[in-house]
Amino acid sequence: MLFFIFNVLNDFRLPFICFPAQAATKTIFTMQTSDLLNGYYVDNKTWDEMCTEQSVRQQYQGVVDFMQQMSIEELNKKEELAKRLFMSQGITFTVYSSGEGIEKIFPFDIIPRIITAAEWKYIEEGIRQRLKALNLFLKDVYNNQFILKDGIVPNEMVYSCPHYLREMHGFPVPHDIYVHIAGIDLIRDQDGTFYILEDNLRTPSGVSYMLENREITKRIFPDLLPKNNVRTVTEYPTILHRNLVSLSPRQTANPTIVLLTPGIYNSAYFEHTTLARLMGVELVEGRDLVVDNHRVYMKTTAGLQQVDVIYRRVDDEFLDPLVFNADSMLGVAGIMSAYRKGNVAIVNATGNGVADDKAIYTYVPAMIRYYLNEEPILKNVPTYQLGNTEEREYVFANMNKMVIKKTNESGGYGMLMGHTAGEEEIFRYQVEIAKNPRQYIAQPIISLSSAPCYMGGRLKPRRVDLRPYALCGPDCIEIVPGGLTRVALREGSLVVNSSQGGGSKDTWVLAG
Amino acid sequence: MLSRVADSLYWMSRYLERTDGVLRMLKINYASSQDDIQEFSWKQVLRTFTYLDDAEAKPFVHHSRAVLQYMVTDKENSNSVLNIVTRARENARSVQDHITKELWQCLNDFYHTIRDEQLVRGLQKDDPVSILDILIKQGLLYYGITDITMSRGEGYAFINIGKFLERGIQSLDILDVKFSDLNDDFTRTDTTYWKYMLLSISGYELYLKTYRSGFDAKNVIEQVVLNPDFPRSVIYSVNQLHRYFERLKSGGNKEAYRKIDFMIGRIKSKVNYSTVDSIMLQGLHTYLSEVKEELCEVGNAFNQEYFAYT
Repeated sequence: MLFFIFNVLNDFRLPFICFPAQAATKTIFTMQTSDLLNGYYVDNKTWDEMCTEQSVRQQYQGVVDFMQQMSIEELNKKEELAKRLFMSQGITFTVYSSGEGIEKIFPFDIIPRIITAAEWKYIEEGIRQRLKALNLFLKDVYNNQFILKDGIVPNEMVYSCPHYLREMHGFPVPHDIYVHIAGIDLIRDQDGTFYILEDNLRTPSGVSYMLENREITKRIFPDLLPKNNVRTVTEYPTILHRNLVSLSPRQTANPTIVLLTPGIYNSAYFEHTTLARLMGVELVEGRDLVVDNHRVYMKTTAGLQQVDVIYRRVDDEFLDPLVFNADSMLGVAGIMSAYRKGNVAIVNATGNGVADDKAIYTYVPAMIRYYLNEEPILKNVPTYQLGNTEEREYVFANMNKMVIKKTNESGGYGMLMGHTAGEEEIFRYQVEIAKNPRQYIAQPIISLSSAPCYMGGRLKPRRVDLRPYALCGPDCIEIVPGGLTRVALREGSLVVNSSQGGGSKDTWVLAG
Repeated sequence: MLSRVADSLYWMSRYLERTDGVLRMLKINYASSQDDIQEFSWKQVLRTFTYLDDAEAKPFVHHSRAVLQYMVTDKENSNSVLNIVTRARENARSVQDHITKELWQCLNDFYHTIRDEQLVRGLQKDDPVSILDILIKQGLLYYGITDITMSRGEGYAFINIGKFLERGIQSLDILDVKFSDLNDDFTRTDTTYWKYMLLSISGYELYLKTYRSGFDAKNVIEQVVLNPDFPRSVIYSVNQLHRYFERLKSGGNKEAYRKIDFMIGRIKSKVNYSTVDSIMLQGLHTYLSEVKEELCEVGNAFNQEYFAYT
């Protein structure tokens, strides 16, 4: 029997599906000097990151020239080296088969995904605006609830959300920040417009891949990064650490900051160790912590030591067995009481799930207008609320053009892709939706952009998305210039999830 | 330092010390098996490093390749090098933020090396010594990287405490098993019998330099138990154990420190004030078992006083 004990990046949500190329017109590049680009074709319904219909985009020119100078043997060697580096650093996940663990690496494509300075400026502003509004929304919804009273977001949307926590009501979190770390998923449709697919405001993962992929690129393509004027991503742990320090409830020069991990069997364990190491903070498990008199302590060889800030990578429901799931072995009994007393800071705040819920997502543009009096910079993917009769009827009439998602599930579960589903399956979903419309949303199927991947001596276009990481500190919101580009490596594949043959790329943001 | 982290570092280190011991033992005994076909038996090695009883060990005792397979790459044998290295690596994995990146990568490479199928095949078909050498070298890399890259803090102290506790127990075991076969007939001075044993703990050359009059059981005991310059001797291990333990003195856990300091101090005096003659008078086996027992108690005390986190 073979089964995945976990998905590599388990709290990644499933992105979306794109159109299969229906009778696509193909643009074939033939003017190149080497074979690398031969047969690189993109159907005209897709935005390609590297090519327009006639030529290579300027931002990719440097990389394409560099690649073309190399033989296939050299490129294959680079690919091999990348694999070896991942393996020897233990950047792996384990697949268990017949009682024995086999280590696998999360596939890495050696060709970077490149974002221009102008594109980045736009993304950065858009995310900053969005996070500002989302933080205000969380503060509001857990305190005065003006937005509900003014009828911008319906009461039932909030109260029916399983991630809405009454425990968060009416207590001030430090600096009014709920979302300290966000990993916002972006996609591009056929004319290159960026859309927000999901706001991940709970425990977004994958940032270690942003950092490690860059390290690998440094090794496999010497000098290529500085030559292309690529901005560095190494600031991430420094900024995060600085923000964590600023949250300490005790006024001390050297507060105790810990990263709480579910343990070595968690799929993102490598990430937890990397971040702890890069920030120089203690990596702890639930069993290392104890709460006494509403204070959190860690058990050390020299006795108990008080903890000030917890960057937790354990989900809300496992955090405190006294408040949430009583069976949880990963959490710490009493931690929520310490949090509410203000004796410890928890990052991200608990209860953030109410703001990245798939049904609440629809209201984010309205929140931006309501709290900031600004027009949203980054667009939402159009989303239909199935609780609304008109919208539901429209969706039911156009099921073959829709993706149906369950609002409280992630990782690709509870999803229906309208264009491939059979009639029977569609009917089953319609019945389910009619029973409990709040649990579902529908989105039109949006194409996503493609980027070149190195596959057996050639470049081939594959679908990608983008997850930049934003850090909200007391003074500002910073977005490290880079992010995680996930890529659907299988030809024709529509899904970039790691469990579905997805891989990742180094993501370059160019300086001016 | 977190108790859990101290625990993991300690066990990581013990497992790697054990790995080194097992591999050296296998290498030298394999060489010995090629030397005298008549007499050679793996019985002692199996008794020292596995839980097999005499009946279970019987099919192995004259089959070098089977022993190598069982002790190096067997997945079912919880004391195979494969499993010991896996456990060391799992311990290291959970404390990656406390060991250097180089150290982690070294152990991770060790783990991947020993799981390499070519290696498994080589051990059965090719020259096993070259394969064992590859593995021994991985272990040496670990020692070197620990020495060169690890900061000299509490973690380093726990690593060395684990290492020397394990080494002391190992030397006691090896000696005990080796002598138990003689039935107290210490007159035996057969050269190969002692030569291979000393080689397996890298003590042969030192022996030749120290004792000019050929092989004598008493001299062997003296070197392995009492020679403070021999890095695998019991006395050296106990002295080092104490030395690294003393570095915990400034820690917050005063009562635990006093308790374990007393225990180690007692073992240290006992070994320091022994002579070969006093050991023989007490009975070699009794003496070795007593010291071993006390060392194991020190291990338990660490568990209770420093590592308890549940």
